Amino acid sequence: MSRVEGARKAIEIVKLNKWFGQFHVLKDIDLTVREREIYVICGPSGSGKSTLIRCINQLEHHQEGDILVDGVLVEKGGKNQETIRRTTGMVFQQFNLFPHLTVLENCTLTPTLGLGMPRAEAEELAMFHLKRVGIEDQALKYPLQLSGGQQQRVAIARSLCTRPKIMLFDEPTSALDPEMIKEVLDVMVELADSGMTMICVTHEMGFARQVADKILFMDQGEIVESGPPGEFFLNPRYDRTEQFLSHIL
Amino acid sequence: MAATEQTGSRSSTERTGPGRLLYDATVRAIFLQALTAALVVGLFAWLIYNTMVNLQERNLSAGFGFLDVSAGFGISFTLIPYEEGDTYLRVFFVGIANTLLVAAVSIALATIIGLFVGLARLSDNWIVAKLSRAYIELLRNTPLLLQIIAWFFGVFNLLPRPRDSVVMAEAFVLNNRGFYMPAPVPELGFGYVMAAFVVALLGAIALYRWEDARRDRTGKSFPAISTGLAMIVLVPLVVHLALGRPLSWDPPVLQGFNFVGGVSVPPAFCALIVALSAYTSAFIAEIVRSGIQSVSKGQLEAAGALNLPPTWTLRRVILPQALRVIIPPLISQYLNITKNSSLAIAIGFPDLVSVWMNTSLNQSGRAIPIVAMTMAFYCLVSLTVSLVMNSYNRRVQIKER
Amino acid sequence: MALVFESKPDRPPPRDETGLAVWVRRNLFRDVPNALMTLLGFYIAYVVVAAVLDWAIFNAVWEADTRRECLDAVGRSGACWPGVVEWLPNLVYGLYPKDAVWRINLGFLALVLWLIPLWMPRVKSKVAVGLTAVTLYPFLASYFFLGGDKGIVWSALISLGLSGLVWVWATTISERVTGQSIAELLGKTLAGGDNDVLQRRAVRGAGLVLFLAAYGLVSTWSLAEVRTQFWGGLFLTLVISGIGITFSLPAGILLALGRRSNLPVIAVLSTLFIELFRSVPLITILFMFNTMLPLFMPEGMEVNQLARAIVAVCLFAAAYMAEVIRGGLQAIPKGQYEAAASLGLGYWQTTTQVVLPQALKIMIPTIVGNFIGLFKDTTLVSIIGLFDLMNMARAVGEDTDWLGLFIEPFFVVSLTYFVFCFAMSSYSIRLEEKLSAGRER
Ligand SMILES: Nc1ncnc2c1ncn2[C@@H]1O[C@H](COP(=O)(O)OP(=O)(O)OP(=O)(O)O)[C@@H](O)[C@H]1O
Ligand SMILES: [Mg+2]
Repeated sequence: MSRVEGARKAIEIVKLNKWFGQFHVLKDIDLTVREREIYVICGPSGSGKSTLIRCINQLEHHQEGDILVDGVLVEKGGKNQETIRRTTGMVFQQFNLFPHLTVLENCTLTPTLGLGMPRAEAEELAMFHLKRVGIEDQALKYPLQLSGGQQQRVAIARSLCTRPKIMLFDEPTSALDPEMIKEVLDVMVELADSGMTMICVTHEMGFARQVADKILFMDQGEIVESGPPGEFFLNPRYDRTEQFLSHIL
Repeated sequence: MAATEQTGSRSSTERTGPGRLLYDATVRAIFLQALTAALVVGLFAWLIYNTMVNLQERNLSAGFGFLDVSAGFGISFTLIPYEEGDTYLRVFFVGIANTLLVAAVSIALATIIGLFVGLARLSDNWIVAKLSRAYIELLRNTPLLLQIIAWFFGVFNLLPRPRDSVVMAEAFVLNNRGFYMPAPVPELGFGYVMAAFVVALLGAIALYRWEDARRDRTGKSFPAISTGLAMIVLVPLVVHLALGRPLSWDPPVLQGFNFVGGVSVPPAFCALIVALSAYTSAFIAEIVRSGIQSVSKGQLEAAGALNLPPTWTLRRVILPQALRVIIPPLISQYLNITKNSSLAIAIGFPDLVSVWMNTSLNQSGRAIPIVAMTMAFYCLVSLTVSLVMNSYNRRVQIKER
Repeated sequence: MALVFESKPDRPPPRDETGLAVWVRRNLFRDVPNALMTLLGFYIAYVVVAAVLDWAIFNAVWEADTRRECLDAVGRSGACWPGVVEWLPNLVYGLYPKDAVWRINLGFLALVLWLIPLWMPRVKSKVAVGLTAVTLYPFLASYFFLGGDKGIVWSALISLGLSGLVWVWATTISERVTGQSIAELLGKTLAGGDNDVLQRRAVRGAGLVLFLAAYGLVSTWSLAEVRTQFWGGLFLTLVISGIGITFSLPAGILLALGRRSNLPVIAVLSTLFIELFRSVPLITILFMFNTMLPLFMPEGMEVNQLARAIVAVCLFAAAYMAEVIRGGLQAIPKGQYEAAASLGLGYWQTTTQVVLPQALKIMIPTIVGNFIGLFKDTTLVSIIGLFDLMNMARAVGEDTDWLGLFIEPFFVVSLTYFVFCFAMSSYSIRLEEKLSAGRER
């Protein structure tokens, strides 16, 4: 059975529905992620993957259904978004590093100004995570002086510096060249091995096979199919999933 | 061969073509430049020759000797002291001072209004956004000179006579002779108030620095900016009250047909300031808007996802990036204000162009030195500003590969 | 066998998410401060609009012979339009003789005719049409506007202008009907199917016939001279800004190229010119040309005042345009130059075929912005005594019948400027959106 049997629920989503104007993006999403579980979400473009994980940390607000993050109910309209975001970290497809701050300053920004950490301690924390992602020697450079893979690793380290319990990844490798994808995936694998709870939107199926507890396939705002990698790849239950897999594998 | 022959002079020096080709390109470059230089020199020689002939004909000289001659005309409004017997050189400086005064006041007003309207334009309140858009489009799309003249003839000149002045708060008076307000008269002890102000200002700066350092050390923070601002206002105020208000005001009072006392500016000054700052504020508003919009949504989302508090998001993420985009065009708007203040001549306000390039030139007939001095002033201003701007740009440039 | 995925039907969003009420709540009454701002905003809008409408329409006087009558009727609470109506011909045409005003109308009609093909679909020679409008139309217009003694050279130029207009429409019609340019069509019909040399000769012959016919026609025209002292109003404004705009683009391109040239003499001279003209106010340049040009010219050579103003405006506009274009040139990546060099293109070929088209395209909004600025700046010629649209408006208030009537003519003139400038800027924004959509694809 699952390797995290009985662990606490990190995220629980019940009957989530979201609209952009008249457009129904997410339909009746149900999802439970336990602590230390790794979920991978895949699906065609426009199926609502990004929207789903952005609802979790309230970059988007949902209209119907309930989301519990680390046991806390997300209130509609982002009223308690600060509490929610304290437990989540997010990595974006386009890195979104602050170009006018050094790598180190990017990492220490929230610890010093949001978490009330003394600078020395924040820098120590930042260097720890920068070392963990393998770029401690770039700490004093500016983001745009680094390669894409390095930037994405900085983004991961920056997010870890806020000490999240749950990490959300929105296609972290799809803006990268093939040789850089591996260096970012290695960091993500290490993070998974260290016991982080993770939800990754990605089409890196090798990564999914290696670390995912479950793979979700989304289409047209619904979770079509979900299952452990073995089942998912070998005998998908739905024709739509088969079709999608045949495109990307 | 034909294709290589057309290769420009620049690349042919790098190419390993036959020597003759290189020679050709170089010769062509030299010939072209020599021709241009000859044309320009010829043109200037011709102009100078004509001018000399013309000057001799009219018994005029092109020298600067007239500068210490008495100008002999009055100037309706001067910032620095000036009397009718003063020299032309003095007139020149009076003009410069007036120009700089108009520019400084308009710059301050235009910046405040522009900032306000630019932020309003980004408001998510529909009517506020639409109103500021209307303000911007109306002002941007009509000529400044027309606005100046309209304000002058349409508003400030049509104000009532001094007897029926518009009086605000019993001290500010507006009529067709100008705008009057009380003049501050410092008394014994006001020096202490000023000193208290300076001390409070320095104290606030020190407080801000100290807060920064303490936050670095301990991670704790408190609202240093608002505390500092309160200090700057309250400390001098307390001193002022404690010393028994050592500052009195000399209000304008109606005597006969006119107001005396206080400080006053003529209607032309008011029209010029209002028109210049309104017109330029529309451009500044657009600069502010595009600067803030230049900070991408991703940056804000990242700050949100990192749970950076909103005030710090503004101060550490939005402002530093927006200012980089805003400041260079903003400075060039300031330069535009300075140049546009020369339109004062249309409503008879004695700025540099009006008092120097017009009155003095007509009176003395020394067209060449006068035009040269005017242009030199404006060039000097532009040059200074562009030096400052270059060094700013170099400093804030985002480091890239 | 795999299950077939059927997506759930879309549901409409919960009721409180859509509709006018939600929009109003979101955008106007989100919270108390927002609601207060909304009320204040609507109040300001109401006050301004109501005041303008009251003054301009409801309280306005439409029939009167002098401003006194207006003032007696409504005081200052309503506009006094008869003065503006009486002055309307002057506001539009200046002091141009009334019986010759048709020449101005005809001149502008010719321009409109010239430009219409640019907006017609299936016309291929748009570039040529645009170029002729810039290069040939001025000759034609100059005669309509100025008139007087033509001389041989000017007659020839006017005939060129006339032939240009005929050619534009001939080729437009031919391209829309047959899909071929008029030259192709003529060559084929006159010289038969496939003899290139003969065809070219036939086209040249046709061109010559056209020119001679035009010359014959032009030499029968004799329009009385209208000296530029009588030019004024909107007409003068359009002439000055038209010439300024037409001149500033090519001159600006040359100056910008000069400034980036690696020939030091040319680069230095261009830079000096650009920086000098950009750092001083236009009014000083106008003054300089107005007072100093007579000094610079050889004895006895008269340059009329309009020409002095136009020269000043043109040089000023060219310097500003040069900086805009330089911005565009700088935005062209180095790769483009390298690609052109690797194809063996020379300096002029690279510049005209590769670099300039791209640079001009990305700078279109800024270039149009510059045109708008120039159009507004032409008001400055009033300071040296020309009666452009704005100065004419001021003159209304100095007319003895309408003494002090300033606001009304300024209102009308402002509106005119606003319509012109706003139209230009909206057009350039639309164009920019169209072009940037093209870039994204
Ligand atoms: N802010 C928005 N306003 C309106 N529609 C939106 C918005 N954001 C996303 N959408 C629409 O919602 C749908 C789902 O978007 P989403 O970004 O979640 O897709 P995705 O599965 O992440 O696709 P991709 O693989 O391209 O990133 C898309 O059709 C998109 O056009
Ligand atoms: Mg996505």
